[in-house]
Amino acid sequence: MELQEIESIISKISLEDYRSILRYAKKFEKLNIQTEYGIRIAVIGSGSIQYFVQVLRMMLYREGVHADIYEGNYNGIEMDILNKKSNLYLFEPQLIIILSDYRDIKNLPDFFEPQESVEKYLEYYLEYYFNLWNTIKKRLPACDILQTNFVIPIERALGNLEANYNFSSQYIYKKMNIIFSEKHPPYVTIIDLEYLSSLIGKINWFDNSLYILSKVPFALQYIGYIVDLFIKLITAWLGKIKKCLVLDLDNTLWGGIVSEEGSLKVNIDPNDAEGEAYWLFQKYLKTLKKRGVLLAVCSKNDLNIAKGPFIENKNMILRLNDFAAFYANWDNKADNINKIAKELNVGLDSLVFFDDNPAEREIIKMVVPEVKVIDVPKDPADYVRALELSKSFEWFQLTKEDCHRAETYEKNKERMELERISIDYSEYLQALQMHATILEVSHDIVKRFTQLINKSNQFNLRSRRYLEPYIENILSEKEYKLLAVKLSDKFSDYGIVSCVILKKIDKKCMIDTWVMSCRVLKRSLEFLTFKYIYEYACQWGCESIYGEYIPTLKNNIVKDLYNELGFEFEDDSEMRTTNDSQVYCYQIGKVPQNKIYIQED
Amino acid sequence: MEDIKEKVQEIFREVFDDETIILQESMTSEDISGWDSLTHFQMIMEIELEFNIKFTTKEIANLATVGELIAMIENHLMNNKEE
Repeated sequence: MELQEIESIISKISLEDYRSILRYAKKFEKLNIQTEYGIRIAVIGSGSIQYFVQVLRMMLYREGVHADIYEGNYNGIEMDILNKKSNLYLFEPQLIIILSDYRDIKNLPDFFEPQESVEKYLEYYLEYYFNLWNTIKKRLPACDILQTNFVIPIERALGNLEANYNFSSQYIYKKMNIIFSEKHPPYVTIIDLEYLSSLIGKINWFDNSLYILSKVPFALQYIGYIVDLFIKLITAWLGKIKKCLVLDLDNTLWGGIVSEEGSLKVNIDPNDAEGEAYWLFQKYLKTLKKRGVLLAVCSKNDLNIAKGPFIENKNMILRLNDFAAFYANWDNKADNINKIAKELNVGLDSLVFFDDNPAEREIIKMVVPEVKVIDVPKDPADYVRALELSKSFEWFQLTKEDCHRAETYEKNKERMELERISIDYSEYLQALQMHATILEVSHDIVKRFTQLINKSNQFNLRSRRYLEPYIENILSEKEYKLLAVKLSDKFSDYGIVSCVILKKIDKKCMIDTWVMSCRVLKRSLEFLTFKYIYEYACQWGCESIYGEYIPTLKNNIVKDLYNELGFEFEDDSEMRTTNDSQVYCYQIGKVPQNKIYIQED
Repeated sequence: MEDIKEKVQEIFREVFDDETIILQESMTSEDISGWDSLTHFQMIMEIELEFNIKFTTKEIANLATVGELIAMIENHLMNNKEE
């Protein structure tokens, strides 16, 4: 096969196509590539590393890197590193990849060894690895090391107890990985194979038969993914990183089309199923921005309309100042992307493009092939994962400039202090700084109101289910009062969390419906809500308030609610609507007493 | 039987990167230059996928000749049919 033909095929192989990967890695190895070597990499490991090296060579070439690769011997880590005259040092690598394996940890504690004794094993192995790394550093001062952490095996002699005792093998492997993360010197980058193996699933990762036969420590099906992790880091080491994420707006950062629905109606509501997906996506993007990834907007919209939601919609997590560039116009996106690259002074090959519209993505792929285009899934709930799994922003180090570390640290400290197990629950409630607003239901919240009534099962007194048309009807009827309560606290705005339908029958105020979202239970909101119910009943000129508890399999938590509020149980009441329900009565004139930790707006 | 031999030959040609390979029962890895310890496992994987069978560790370890390989495949196919 000709070089060009192979090159063309290699450029298109997907990571999951391990058969083609292995096949073409072999073919590639036989080719006589004339270009100069761009990097010298040594690969040493405890298991069999031949497949890894073959595939690494090919996939680096795919990224435009012609690598001269030194392949260590089987089980050759100590051999190559500790022998000062080894071929490893003669080769003078710029990068050394050390593929370690959990089986290298040969000394494990006995069962019931005491803590101090277990610590010694960890010290021993930390010293062992430091010795390896230091020896390399002394001989090759300019060399960087990529050291894998330990893929923790499935086997646990103690079963689940391994997580409960620190003499277990699982504890040792996990602790070693943590020690690697904590104590690695700056010239050693830990490669998180443990994470990759979890992602792929340990059930899939380990191929016992293959290990026994060939000493390859992972199933060959995943060679593409494993090598890809190293490719990302090596290209990052060479300075080829992605720096900027270019985002569309409509149906990418929010649900809906801003020019049709307006700034306030585009869906970024964390209390709405569709909205929450976009909200979570924005949250993720915000953390990317904080670690130094540049965000840019590229949208087909009028500029002012596009900016609207960032300014006016209070659910938006991203704001205008989170973007390094903002292009909203009617030009084609390829031109805009070129302008973004120019404005930010970065190469086109450092841009990543995320747009829900497949047509736009196709154009960019064709016209600006240097830009990485994310294959955006149809469901916004999967946006974060798609971006995460694209591994677009694997860097060799963090740039401190854009990291708002101080800010995040402060907020987290606050939240953690608040969540510490409070002996005094009321102090905790107080510290939440909750605010609530009561609304009489109007047309624009009928949807949410009805939704909450129909899906609440736990805090639901009578489990009456209604459809929107019915609710719309009774909105205007004098003997009905429909109330919605909104809640927010120091950390979050929960939106509408409680719904009440009151019905006036002569001088009696019937609580026809009372539901509350299970997200805000036990915060004294029920007491505040009852206070409002009492006020409305007074306004109506009622003499008593009636509440009925209809037991279901799920609403046990409100069994004693009316008792708690100071109602009196009415035995054999004529107001009963089912055989097993309980009716309670509250006399107007008795002011509601329960302590409320929420401020009314 | 011929069918199996033909498919195996096709796989050998692909995996060992040699379109001229003509299989004989007595052949071992010594007779085919592209057949090394690495490509051996690739070949096994391709065979397992092609015939929808799974060899045991012992079977793979003891495998020496093409003839044995074909016999193993036949064996597994028969067992599959019985299940």
